[in-house]
Amino acid sequence: MSTEERATPSALLLILPVLILLVLFFGSVVHLFSYGFYEDGEFSTRYFLQIADRPDYHVVFLRTVLSSLTVAVVSVVLAYPIALLLWRSDRWRNTLLIVVLVPWLVSLVVRTYGWIVLLGPRGVINEFLAWLGLVDAPVKLMFNDLGIIIGLTHVLVPFAVISILASLLEIESNLEEASGVLGATAFQTFLHVVWPLSLPGAFTALMVIYLACIGAIVTPILLGGMTHNFVGSQIYQEVMYTFNMSKAAAWSICLLGLSFLSLILLKTIERRLLGKRS
Amino acid sequence: MTLSTSPPGRDVAALGRIDIAGVTKRYGQAEVLSNVSLVIEPGSFLTLLGPSGCGKTTLLRLIAGFTQPDDGIIAIDGRDMTGLAPQQRPIGMVFQNLALFPHLSVAENVAYGLKIRRLDQGDIDARVERFLDLVDLAGLGTRRISQLSGGQRQRVALARSLVLEPSILLLDEPLSALDLQLRKQLQVGLKDIQRSLNTTFVFVTHDQEEATLMSDTVVVMSAGKIQQAGAPHDIYLHPENLFVAKFIGDLNEIPAKVVAVSSATATLETAVGRFDLPQSAFRRFAAVEGKACSLCLRPEVLEVRPTSAPQHLDAVSLRARIVDRFAVGGVTRLILSCGERRLTAVTMTHASSWLPAPGDVCTIRFRVDHAQIFEPLGADMAKAFGERA
Repeated sequence: MSTEERATPSALLLILPVLILLVLFFGSVVHLFSYGFYEDGEFSTRYFLQIADRPDYHVVFLRTVLSSLTVAVVSVVLAYPIALLLWRSDRWRNTLLIVVLVPWLVSLVVRTYGWIVLLGPRGVINEFLAWLGLVDAPVKLMFNDLGIIIGLTHVLVPFAVISILASLLEIESNLEEASGVLGATAFQTFLHVVWPLSLPGAFTALMVIYLACIGAIVTPILLGGMTHNFVGSQIYQEVMYTFNMSKAAAWSICLLGLSFLSLILLKTIERRLLGKRS
Repeated sequence: MTLSTSPPGRDVAALGRIDIAGVTKRYGQAEVLSNVSLVIEPGSFLTLLGPSGCGKTTLLRLIAGFTQPDDGIIAIDGRDMTGLAPQQRPIGMVFQNLALFPHLSVAENVAYGLKIRRLDQGDIDARVERFLDLVDLAGLGTRRISQLSGGQRQRVALARSLVLEPSILLLDEPLSALDLQLRKQLQVGLKDIQRSLNTTFVFVTHDQEEATLMSDTVVVMSAGKIQQAGAPHDIYLHPENLFVAKFIGDLNEIPAKVVAVSSATATLETAVGRFDLPQSAFRRFAAVEGKACSLCLRPEVLEVRPTSAPQHLDAVSLRARIVDRFAVGGVTRLILSCGERRLTAVTMTHASSWLPAPGDVCTIRFRVDHAQIFEPLGADMAKAFGERA
C-alpha cells in the first residue's frame, strides 16, 4: 500500500479544522447578508436606502474615513523615528522593542479609560493648563474627533513601529557603506537608500492601521461619546440599544464594502508610488 | 574626487599610489593587523591573499576609510588619509555581496554616484552608457537588479564604482559567490578592464589561483602580518617562509632535522631518508645541529626515473614506489610512497617518456638547489591550514 493512500484519513483530519473555520467564517457572512436584505421574512433594501439618504449618516462614514486616515498618517509619522532609533541601536533593540509593545499588555478598555483621565474636562491636562492660567474654561480634548484620533493613535503606533522596523532590518547592511563610498553624505544616503527601501514597511503600516481604524468600536464609544459616532460604534448602538439587527447588518455590509474599496485604492496608490519591486 | 572628461584609460596614469606605513588595528584585545607596511604602485593590480581572519579585509576597509587605524598612516597619492571618511577618498569599492541598490534599475545604480555629484542629466546618461558598454551590459540599463544573473550583477557593481573614475578600486572577494566557470570569465574581464583604465586595483581573495592569475603583485597575509609581497611567480619560486610556500601552489612538506653541519654542507635526517644538502639550500633557515625544520619540494621538481637511471652529482636520489597515477590532459600526477611519506610528483605527459604504473618501484630525484628548507610553522599559522584542509 502506498503511503499516499494511508495518508488519506489523517489528511481528512487535517482538513476538518479548515472546514469548520470556513463554514463559520462564510456562514456568518451569509447570515449577515440575510439580516441585511431581509426584514420580517421579506426582501428589503430599506436600511441601505436610509444610509444613502440621511446626511447625518454620511457624516458618520466621512468621519470614520477621515479620522482613520489621520490616525494612520500620524501613527506612521510618529513611528518612523522610533523605528529608526530601534534599527540603529543594535544592542538595545530588543529591550526598546519591549518598551514599545508594553502598552499592549494592558487591555484596550483600561487604556482608553486612562486617556479619559488625561483628556477629560477635569482631566490631568486641563487641570494643568488651568493651573498655569493658560485657559479659563476646559479645552475640549475628548467627546470629539480629536479624542478618538489620540486614543486610536496610541493603540496603533506599535504596529507601525514593527512594520517599519521590519523593512529597515531587511536593508542589506553595507548598502549604506556602498552609498558612502559613492560619495553620498549620511543624509543623502538616508534620502536615496534608507528612505525608499523603508517605504514598503511604512505603507503596510498605513494600510493595516487604516483598516483597523475604520472598524474601531471601543475607542470611538469611550472617547467620542454619543455625538461623535464611528461606523463601528453606530453598529454597536443598533445591536445593543435598539436591537435592530437588520439595520446593524446593513451598516456592517456598507462598512465591509468601504474596507474593500479602501484596500483596492490604497493598493493602487502603493503600486504607483513604489513601482514594481523585486 | 574630481571627474575628468577624458575617455577612460587616459590622464590617470600617475594617480592611485597607496602608502601604508606601520599600520596596526586592534579589535578589543585582538590585534587584527600588526605593523603592516606596504607600497601599492599606481596602476597596478595588487591582491591581498590569505586565509580567513588574516586581516586582509580589515586592511582593505582601512584603505577605504570605514575604520581608522590605531597606529600608522595610510596615504593616497602622498596625502595623509587619517580621519577622512570614505566619501572624501579617491576610491571606489566593490563589496563581497555587491551591495547593489535593489530599488533602482541597472542604469540608476550606475548613475548613483554621478547624481550625488549633481552632474547634469545629459552628462550622466552619456557616462552611464559608456560604462555599461565597458562591462558588457549595453542595453540592460532599464532592468531591475532582481532580473540579472550573478555575473551581470557583478558587472553592475563594477560599473557603478568605475563610472566615477576613481584612481583606486578596492574589491572585497567580489567573485566568491559565483560558480567556477563564470568566475574564470570575470577574472579575465576584470584584468582587461584594469589594464584599459590604468586604475589601481586592490583585490582581496583567499583563492591563490585567482590571485596569481590576475595580479601584478600578490601580498600573502597571515595572522595580521604581511608574510611576503611580490610578483606571483617570484612568490611561487622563492617563498620567504613555510606559510607562503604552502599557501601558494602545491607542496611536498617533509619534516626534517639537522643532524650534522659542516662549512659546505648540512646533513638532514628526514622522513624519506638521510642526505647532505649544500649550505646554499639553507637561505631561509640557518642550519644548526639538532634543530627541526621542514624540507619542501614542489611536485614538479621531483623527477621520476627508472631505478636503473644513473646517479647525479648535484641531485638527491631516493627509492620510491608508485601508489597512484592520474593523467589529466597534458599533466600526469604521480602519488609516491617514499619512506613513511606520501609524495606528489608532476610531469608532463609525453608519449615517449617513461611512465611508471601503480606498484612500480622507481627512483625519485631532485636537484639540491630545488630543495627549500624552512622553519616549521608556528601554532597560529598552522591553524590557517587546519581550516583549509
